[in-house]
Amino acid sequence: EAIPQTRRADGPITHWQCSQRRNRQIRYKDLHVFQLEHPTKVIEWTGDKNICVAGYTGSRSEILELLLPLKLYAGENQGLCAERDFKVQHGGFSEEPIESLIHISGTRCVVTSGSSSSTLQIWDIGGDDSDVIKRTGVINLKSTSVKGCKIAPGLTDEPAVLHGSCISEVQLTEIATGRVLYTVAKESSDSVSGLQFVNACVFLICASDGTLFMGDTRDPSTCHYPLEDSKSGLHWAFGLRSDSSQSEPSGCTVARLSSSGHMLLSDLRNLQSPFCQTQLNVQHDASKNDFLNVSWAPVLDRCLSVSGFDGTVHIYNTINWSTEGQSPQPVFSHRGHEMSDEAKYSGSPPVVTTHSWHQSRPKTILSVATDGSLHVWDWVDKITDR
Amino acid sequence: MLFMSHDTQNASLQMRHYKVLFQAGALEGSEKAVWAGQDVGRSCILVSIGGKNIMLDCGMHMGYNDDRRFPDFSYVTQNGRLTEFLDCVIISHFHLDHCGALPYMSEMVGYDGPIYMTHPTKAICPILLEDFRKITVDKKGETNFFTSQMIKDCMKKVVPLNLHQTVQVDEELEIKAYYAGHVLGAAMFQIKVGSESVVYTGDYNMTPDRHLGAAWIDKCRPDILISESTYATTIRDSKRCRERDFLKKVHETVERGGKVLIPVFALGRAQELCILLETFWERMNLKAPIYFSTGLTEKANHYYKLFITWTNQKIRKTFVQRNMFEFKHIKAFDRSYADNPGPMVVFATPGMLHAGQSLQIFKKWAGNEKNMLIMPGYCVQGTVGHKILNGQKKLEMEGRATVITGTANNVIPHLASTLLDVKLQVEYMSFSAHADAKGIMQLIRMAEPRNMLLVHGEAKKMEFLKDKIEQEVFVRCISCYMPANGETTTVVTNPSVPVDISLNLLKREMALGGPLPDAKRPRTMHGTLIMKDNSLRLVSPEQALKELGLSEHQLRFTCRVQLHDPHSDTDTLGRIYTHLKSVLKSYSIQHVPDGTVIVESIVIKVTSSAEEPNLKVILLSWSYQDEELGSFLSTLLKKGLPS
Repeated sequence: EAIPQTRRADGPITHWQCSQRRNRQIRYKDLHVFQLEHPTKVIEWTGDKNICVAGYTGSRSEILELLLPLKLYAGENQGLCAERDFKVQHGGFSEEPIESLIHISGTRCVVTSGSSSSTLQIWDIGGDDSDVIKRTGVINLKSTSVKGCKIAPGLTDEPAVLHGSCISEVQLTEIATGRVLYTVAKESSDSVSGLQFVNACVFLICASDGTLFMGDTRDPSTCHYPLEDSKSGLHWAFGLRSDSSQSEPSGCTVARLSSSGHMLLSDLRNLQSPFCQTQLNVQHDASKNDFLNVSWAPVLDRCLSVSGFDGTVHIYNTINWSTEGQSPQPVFSHRGHEMSDEAKYSGSPPVVTTHSWHQSRPKTILSVATDGSLHVWDWVDKITDR
Repeated sequence: MLFMSHDTQNASLQMRHYKVLFQAGALEGSEKAVWAGQDVGRSCILVSIGGKNIMLDCGMHMGYNDDRRFPDFSYVTQNGRLTEFLDCVIISHFHLDHCGALPYMSEMVGYDGPIYMTHPTKAICPILLEDFRKITVDKKGETNFFTSQMIKDCMKKVVPLNLHQTVQVDEELEIKAYYAGHVLGAAMFQIKVGSESVVYTGDYNMTPDRHLGAAWIDKCRPDILISESTYATTIRDSKRCRERDFLKKVHETVERGGKVLIPVFALGRAQELCILLETFWERMNLKAPIYFSTGLTEKANHYYKLFITWTNQKIRKTFVQRNMFEFKHIKAFDRSYADNPGPMVVFATPGMLHAGQSLQIFKKWAGNEKNMLIMPGYCVQGTVGHKILNGQKKLEMEGRATVITGTANNVIPHLASTLLDVKLQVEYMSFSAHADAKGIMQLIRMAEPRNMLLVHGEAKKMEFLKDKIEQEVFVRCISCYMPANGETTTVVTNPSVPVDISLNLLKREMALGGPLPDAKRPRTMHGTLIMKDNSLRLVSPEQALKELGLSEHQLRFTCRVQLHDPHSDTDTLGRIYTHLKSVLKSYSIQHVPDGTVIVESIVIKVTSSAEEPNLKVILLSWSYQDEELGSFLSTLLKKGLPS
């Protein structure tokens, strides 16, 4: 009689063991489960082995720069490396919840935006001599938006950020001087869902209704590409896959994901007509629009990941996608966040707030959820890893 | 070492000082790389509170082979005896970096006072000390180390205590133990003298594991919380993932027919890993044998059975049906088993592969790449374990090789070193249970200390944590200290001293008028403070006199003021009377015909010298109660009279 009791109390390890017994298959090459004190909506890479996370709940929040577990970088000597913890390398306090955070490549500077704030905050995340992240300046915004301002780093030599909460307010601001370098000349009050530079001059904006805007910092006019049969009431997120071997925009693919699981893939040469449309088999809950996330794998060809619907992160390989037909099956689904202890105690299932691909390890993903859980995982591909 | 001394000379009741001197714990120089700055070091902390001196832990530094391994007790004694200086010694748990120097301190330096520890620590501590002594003295041949008899004599000075039991060390000093997790019997200690208190955490763990529960403490609001900070800048991977990887590696090896060697210390993680494997074997219905090297570990398991109440709830609950430490799949090991064919898992001591059974088995299995070595903890430099963890693939083994010369009867033992090829797979896994940054914050919220002191960490890397602690909203005005080796920190506390006020005195205060006392604002009142029988009372002077059987004495001050005034003495006095009447409007001033002016208790007379009639000498006299008015008048008259 004693044995079932211990089984029940063991929780997820039992799940892993059971599933292992069922199909004699190990699902993860690496799996590390962490618990942050406060949940984050951002995972921003600040170096090869470092990420920034920041709290979005509560009036005061922490910004942390973390060193990834060194075990992930030990290569062939992985067995000899016992270091499987995150190290807090730098930390600081923000007086507002952090909605978005971006790192300026090649510097120790990050820029954040909060909700209901009329400024962007500029931070120095610190060097070897101190572990404190300090605020070094602000960028004043035209207006205060409840949803918070979206930010993207510029790709020019002079550090600059493209930012805005609605289309008509998007502008490029130089960080050092606060000088406005460029303003989008489009009268549209649609809110910005995401924005990103394609190269030094060309950028893309995705409005929350799914409309794409393409601009060039050398040209005040912007092209816009509304959805053909715009499904009203839906919220859209976008992900840009840029082929690093080509600096031309033509090599880029844009993925747009709606809050009901529509997926549109478009080529930058023809943003008006998506070359692929499909419907993902995901739960739809309008209240969780905030966390909608689609991102392309940096190493694996044409693989993308989606999250924000529930406690899972799904990986898809778009090579097999056809315009017609059934919902594509994910290559892998990470359900670990649904099984965390916090989730069991709180009662409400956690939702993945964001996730991020590791920059060099092909199948390693970092994901975070509303319960503060942070997972680092490297899945085993049933076909290729045999 | 940490040294706190209480400044008893300070007359003010509100100002109390702790001097904190930190001597040990942090590692210096190149060794940091070897140890990764964690787990090792030595803890020995001295707290002085309310005139009492308490030593918290008495650890040994595992990284040194010379005198530096022990704390420098001359810091404390200054040539005196430890017994005279220390009121008691408290040991938090049985790890040698917390108790390893105990026999050295008590028997070699000399200390005869009480040593407090929990029952499990008392039972296990001497086993580990003896084990370490054997390795150091018998195997390495070192001298200047304590003997078996010294360990025994030292343990006679130990007073065991239970959790949540308040132990009165003497009339003023009391200590209380709280559950700390970490290892069996580990405790946090509250030390209290009067209204002041310190909490020392030792090593603790805020998340329960497979065999132990999580640390817990009252909202006891100590003046200082001394916490370890080994993992203060760490966000720890879940126990579950560590276990998953451990089981995965063992399982894979056993499945391919390999042998798994797990060198362990007798106590601590060994029991946890045994429970883990036992349940896994049960669930997966595995048949490969699991062995336990005899001796220490067996004895240790016995203690775990004995101290079942110190384990976690789950183990205690299942204990009714089955003792978790009575293993079904894990059996005692015999050295002949190492040569058996087929897969097996062996737990063997010692943990660093420096001698004994674990090393013997390792030598036998190292050459086969199907086998696996799992190191569940750190290894000291110079040990085989340390070399292997550094990736060394060829090891020089000192050992007895038998070289046969001549006939079969003529065998000459000959010392030779052989080269060992390490082909087996090596996995380094850390299972140590310490509180991480989140755990430290949880403990702060539990205990709500007024000050925080972090030991075992790197101050430079903890500035953010210090800010975080000091800004903690749940705790008011907390200061965080991170003393370096040998540093002195002074902490000022404001203990409140309760005083009983007599009803008479209160009534008199009321009668004197004025608004009713506001509870939120301080108010001055006068009375006589009687300190008697450990209590403080404020009573009226009359009552104090009566109670103490004393007669009243009047205290008067007198003062002479010289004044140039061309009038007669009587006129001068009259002018003084007029002057005072105009200055002290609300006082009743009397001009008495016998030649004095009286204000309250102040008496003023005028005389002049015969030689110089114009130089008047004004005599003032007042009682102690009117000191303020008296000095005011003397100052006023020194300025002269208005013409």
